[in-house]
Amino acid sequence: MNLKTSLFLAFHSIKRGNKGTLFMTILIMTLAYVNLVFVSSIFGGIVQAINNEAINNQYSNIVITPAVNNIYIKKNHAEQRLSSLPGVQAVATHYVNQAIIKYDKNRDGNDIQKGRWTIKSINPKQEEKVTDIYKSMVAGSYLKATDRNQIILGRDISGAYGSDLEYLSLGVKVGDQVDVYFSNGVKRTYTVKGIFKTKNTQVNQSAFITKGEMESVLRVYNRSSEILVKTKNISSEGMVIREIRRSGFKTEDIKKWSALMGFTSGASKSFDMISIILGAIGTIVAGITIFIIIFVSVVNKRKQIGILKAIGMREGTIVAYFVIQALFYGLVGVLLGISLILFVVRPLFISNPLDFPVGWVSLKITFNIIKISNISLLSAALIGGFFPAYKGAKRSILNSIWG
Amino acid sequence: MSLIKISNLSKTYQSNGLSTPVLHQVSFEINEQEFVTIMGPSGSGKTTLMHILGFLERQSTGDYKFKGKNVENFDDNYLAKLRNEEVGFVFQAFNLLPRTTVLDNVKLPLLYSKKKNHDLLARKALESVGLGSRLNYYTNQISGGEKQRVAIARALVTNPAVIFADEPTGNLDSKSGNTVLYLLQQLNKQGRTIILVTHEAETANHAKRIIKIKDGAIISDQAVHKRVFATANTELIK
Repeated sequence: MNLKTSLFLAFHSIKRGNKGTLFMTILIMTLAYVNLVFVSSIFGGIVQAINNEAINNQYSNIVITPAVNNIYIKKNHAEQRLSSLPGVQAVATHYVNQAIIKYDKNRDGNDIQKGRWTIKSINPKQEEKVTDIYKSMVAGSYLKATDRNQIILGRDISGAYGSDLEYLSLGVKVGDQVDVYFSNGVKRTYTVKGIFKTKNTQVNQSAFITKGEMESVLRVYNRSSEILVKTKNISSEGMVIREIRRSGFKTEDIKKWSALMGFTSGASKSFDMISIILGAIGTIVAGITIFIIIFVSVVNKRKQIGILKAIGMREGTIVAYFVIQALFYGLVGVLLGISLILFVVRPLFISNPLDFPVGWVSLKITFNIIKISNISLLSAALIGGFFPAYKGAKRSILNSIWG
Repeated sequence: MSLIKISNLSKTYQSNGLSTPVLHQVSFEINEQEFVTIMGPSGSGKTTLMHILGFLERQSTGDYKFKGKNVENFDDNYLAKLRNEEVGFVFQAFNLLPRTTVLDNVKLPLLYSKKKNHDLLARKALESVGLGSRLNYYTNQISGGEKQRVAIARALVTNPAVIFADEPTGNLDSKSGNTVLYLLQQLNKQGRTIILVTHEAETANHAKRIIKIKDGAIISDQAVHKRVFATANTELIK
């Protein structure tokens, strides 16, 4: 095989060939590449959106729960101790209680709406540093540390605001009063101060009261049922967990947010599978396209192949001549595709993310996706180009020249 | 030692279980610097014989020795090397690459050879056939006679031992045909072996020797007594 000759012939053929065909071929390769990257990235984006919702509104980075058989984390000044650890950005402590919330619209004992929901206590100022609930108010306002008879409800409890569980909701508005029956038997009446809406269903099915109010209900102080720890960096979660253990949280259950995301983990695997299947179909289509283009080229250049062989060119050189053409189409497709993705599609999605029920979805373009897409398209071009070229080069000289 | 020696060479094509014999027990020798015409009517097997002699296909039976070596022992890659270095072809239909300049067409065999200065060699070959002013023309921008001269330049650019010309004047007017025959005679005069395949007696008489073939067998092999010499068209050939 003489690569120099193959290169000369390939680029001569591209240069002197039909410009319309060249444009269409490169366009198909570019779109095939964009499709490969887009499909993988959008699924990655969905998973990332779910994860972001979990981190920003539900778990933060690390969740500490009581040791086995304990109701509360029995550490005095836990917030101060955890906040001072390296890698920790902020800490929020919660009391968590399952309660029945009742709403009697007319206060006449008729048509009472009720449901069992999770009520958490928060220290509003502390919570703002760890979760984004305060940014998610769709009606009324967020809690203040001094609030006592006030409650904020997730939209799935209140109803309206696009609630996914309208049939279970109470149908309350800001200013309405609800009765809350805590698991220890205490009953309190609260005024709905605000309604929040996140992209996280579990959070939307929660209600929040202040820490002081919850401590008065539960009659415990300086304890917590759950501590959320926000790290300065997502990659330092492991190190922070070791620091937490070292600081004295020996028996508590400490988990990264990702360990609590069973649903996302399963969805992520399913998305990966769908992405692989769609990617494989895209790659095969790109390969078949290249096959057809090179096949047509080989048929049209049948006589030329015969002449080339007659003047002494080996079959390998002729095969390489067409494979280089195929790789050229693939390579230009990759380069234009990357440019299109990075400079057009990605900025477009960053400024206009898709509104999915699980979160605001943008493209998650990783080096790995780019690498796999590059390899896939170039392999498709190589294989798609090789077979027709090999078949054409194998024809006898006389058959090629005279048919 | 003869350049080409064939003994009892036969060729039979097989297709869909049918055997079509084309050449039967053909034997002759061709020495270096000869100008030989293989002449015969259409379907006589002369082109098949040229294809075998030019390593474009293999004989069915018999021996073919090129420069004393048995061609049967050569693999396809070696035959490709021989086609590139030892022989040049001039076809009736020119067989030039379309959408390619005259210069690039002539440079093509050099891409595959070990020779240096491709551009210079190709220019010299084109100048020798009177096309020094057509280097950058595309093959669709020149006349049939000029195309055939490009084909001759391409055939001789690698300085081969032998040039095969298959009905080289078949698609040309008499003036252009005469120019092509003149060039072939000049190349022979310079020491190149020429094997011309034709069915026309007038064209055949430009050679020094004529091997007549009919129904796949040689019917005569003799020197040309009244050789015709083509005249140069001084407008075309420098």
